[in-house]
Amino acid sequence: MICIVALIIFSILGIFSATHRQMAKEALDCVFRRVTLRPCNTGFKEKIKSHMVAKLLNRSTFLARAFNRYYEVFAWIFFILMIASTFYVVKGGYNYYLYGSCNGLNQSGFCAFDPKGENNKVTEINASCGIEEKSEKNVSLDGVDLSSFPTKQVGAKDTIVLIGCYECDYTRKAYPDIQKLVREKKTNYIFAHYPAKENTNFLSEVGYCVYKEYGDRFWSFNDYLFTVDKVEIYQSEYINTILKNFDFDISKINDCVNDSATKEAVTNQVNQLRKTHLYGTPTVFINGKAFVGPKPYRVYKSVLNKFIIF
Amino acid sequence: MLDYEKIKKDFLLVSKQIKGKPIVYFDNACMSLKPRQVIDAMNEYYFEFPACSGRSSHKLGEIVTKKVREARQIIAKFINAGEQEIVFTRNTTEAINLLAHTFPWVKGDLVLTTDKEHNSNLIPWQMLVKNKGIRHRVVKSKDDGTFDLEKYKELAKEARLISMVYTSNLDGTTIPAKEIIKIAHENGALVFLDAAQSAPHKKIDAKDLDVDFLAFSGHKMLGPTGTGVFYAKYSLLEKLEPFMVGGDTVEYSTYTKHEMLKAPEKFEAGLQDYAGIIGLGEAVKYLEAVGFDSIKKQEYELNKYITDELSRWPKIKIIGPGDPALRSGIISFYIDGVDMHQFALMLDEMSNIMIRSGQHCVHSWFNDKKIYNSARVSLYFYNSLEEASVFINSLDKIMKII
Repeated sequence: MICIVALIIFSILGIFSATHRQMAKEALDCVFRRVTLRPCNTGFKEKIKSHMVAKLLNRSTFLARAFNRYYEVFAWIFFILMIASTFYVVKGGYNYYLYGSCNGLNQSGFCAFDPKGENNKVTEINASCGIEEKSEKNVSLDGVDLSSFPTKQVGAKDTIVLIGCYECDYTRKAYPDIQKLVREKKTNYIFAHYPAKENTNFLSEVGYCVYKEYGDRFWSFNDYLFTVDKVEIYQSEYINTILKNFDFDISKINDCVNDSATKEAVTNQVNQLRKTHLYGTPTVFINGKAFVGPKPYRVYKSVLNKFIIF
Repeated sequence: MLDYEKIKKDFLLVSKQIKGKPIVYFDNACMSLKPRQVIDAMNEYYFEFPACSGRSSHKLGEIVTKKVREARQIIAKFINAGEQEIVFTRNTTEAINLLAHTFPWVKGDLVLTTDKEHNSNLIPWQMLVKNKGIRHRVVKSKDDGTFDLEKYKELAKEARLISMVYTSNLDGTTIPAKEIIKIAHENGALVFLDAAQSAPHKKIDAKDLDVDFLAFSGHKMLGPTGTGVFYAKYSLLEKLEPFMVGGDTVEYSTYTKHEMLKAPEKFEAGLQDYAGIIGLGEAVKYLEAVGFDSIKKQEYELNKYITDELSRWPKIKIIGPGDPALRSGIISFYIDGVDMHQFALMLDEMSNIMIRSGQHCVHSWFNDKKIYNSARVSLYFYNSLEEASVFINSLDKIMKII
C-alpha cells in the first residue's frame, strides 16, 4: 500500500524536485511489480519504512516502535486517507471547474484553487432590507414575477436573470460575462437592478423609465452604467448628463421618474426581488438555477452546455 | 601510532557532514575512501601529461610511461613480486576471469574453493564446469567459521587449482594461506588467492607465501575505482595465453600472423587506465607510510569495542568467530526475523552511518545457512573510536524498537 501512496506523493513532489522524481520511479516500479503479481523486491518499501522509522526514532522511541511494529496498519491508514483525500481533491477540482468553488455551488468555504474566495464574494444586502436568511438553498425564482423588468430575446430556450447593482464591484465583475453569454447563446435575458448599497436607489427608477419609454435602447444605457466610473453614478445630478449623452428626452424621463406610478412599480419590483431570498449581488439565475457571486465564465456556460454530473 | 589529524586532512570525507551530522563511513570492505594524495596524482596525470604510455615517444608519452612503470614497481614491491609479474586489470573480478579463461584446463580438472567465496571467485568456476567439464568442490568451514584444514587436505589430493579467498569479505576470517599453499604444492596443485580484502589490511609477501596467482583491487585499498592487480609467478604467467588481445599486446603483426609481447604486456590489451594505475601506485605508497602494524592495531581496537558492545544484545548474531582478532576489520551480524537492509537504512537516516547490508555477493553461503541477510560493518584505519561510539548509540536506539 505504501508504494501506491508514495507513487502519488512523490509524483507530485517530483514535478518540483529531481530527487523525488527518482523516488517516484522506484515507487512506480514497485507498484508495477505488485500489479503484475510479483513481489516488490526492489527494496523501495524498506527504504521508505526505514526513513520514516529513523526520523521518528530521532524524536520518540515509543512512536518509532509503534510505527515499526504496526507499519502495515499505518500503510493501510495512509492509503485510505490518500484515497479519501484524492476523492475530495478531484471533487473539489470538479466543483471548482463547474461552480467556481471547490465546495460546490455558492459554497464559500476555503478553496485552494480560489484561496481568496473571489468567485463567491457578493455585495451583501443588509438585514434592514428584510432578507430572512443568508442561505443559497433559499434563493429561488419560485413565485417571483419578473414581467416588469427589462427583458430581451423573449421566447429563447434558455433564460438568464441577472440581479445586480450598478455600484457593486462584484456585479460589475460578472456583468461582461453575462452579456457575453447572452450574446453567444442567444438566451432570454432579464435584468433586475437591486441597489444593495442603496446609493443608487434612484437608478432603479431611471432604468425603469428608460426601458418603459425607449425599449431596447435601455440595454446600451445599462451597459454604460456598469462600465462607467462609479463616481459618475453616485450622484443623481450626473444622470441627466448621461441621459443627454444617450439622446434621451430628459424631461420625459424625469416626469416618469417623479410619477407616483413609477415609484409604486419600482417598489413592487424590489418586493418581487426580495421574494427570491437573495442575500447579495450579483445573483444570477440560469434556467432557474441560482449562482451567487461572480463566477468564472466557464461556470455560467457549463450550465447551458448541460455539463453537470453531480 | 596513527596521526588522526593528518588523516582528517588527507581524507576530506572524514570531516564532512551531511545534514549537520558527521559521516560515519563503515563500508570499507566494499570501497575505501581516497586520500588527497591519490586524487592529486590522478589529477596531475589529467592536467599535466594526459598521454599514452608505452607507445608514444614524445615528451608527455615518456612521462606517462615512466609514471606507469613506477607504479608497477611500487605495487610489485608492495607484495614482494617482480615487476613483470604484475598485470593491471580493472579489479579482482577481472583478474579471476583472466585466470579462469587462460588456464590450460583439462576436462575433469578439480578446482577447490572455500564456502565463503565472493561470487567473483565462484561463478567463473561454475561456468567452467558447464563449458569445459572441470569439477568444482567446496571446502566447508568449521562451525566457528574458521578454515577446516583437515577437510582441505583430503580434497587437495585431487585438485588442479586451489582458488580461495584470502580474507573473507563476509566475516573477515583469513585462511591459513601458507599452509594451504604448501599442501597444494605437495599435491601438485596450483594456488590462487583472492586478496581483495587482504591487501588493504595486511602485508602480503607473495614470495614468502609461495602463492602461484593472486589478485586484489585498488578501490578497496585507497586506490581509484577500475583498478586491480593480477599477480602470477612469471614462469606461469608466460605459459598463460591471453584471452583478450589487441593494441599493445603484440610485438608486430602481418595480415596473417602476429608475435605476442611478453608478460605482462600481452595481458594488458588496449589503452589502460593510466590515471588509475598512477593513483593506485600513490595509494600503495600511502598505505606503506601508514604502516600495516598501525592499521591492524586500529582495526582491532575498533572491532573489539564494537564486538564487545554488540554482545549486550543476545539477539544479535555475529557471523564468524567471536574473537575480533580473527575477523580483520569486519563485523557481519544479523538478527533473526529482521531485514538488515532496513537496519542499515535506519542507521544511515539517523546518523549518517554507512554500512553494507544484504548478502555481500556471498549468496551461496547465505543460501546454505538459510540466513536472509546481514549487516556488515567494515572498518579501516581512518575510522575512530568516536565513530564506533556513534554507531553503538544509534544501534542502541534501533534495538529498543526491534
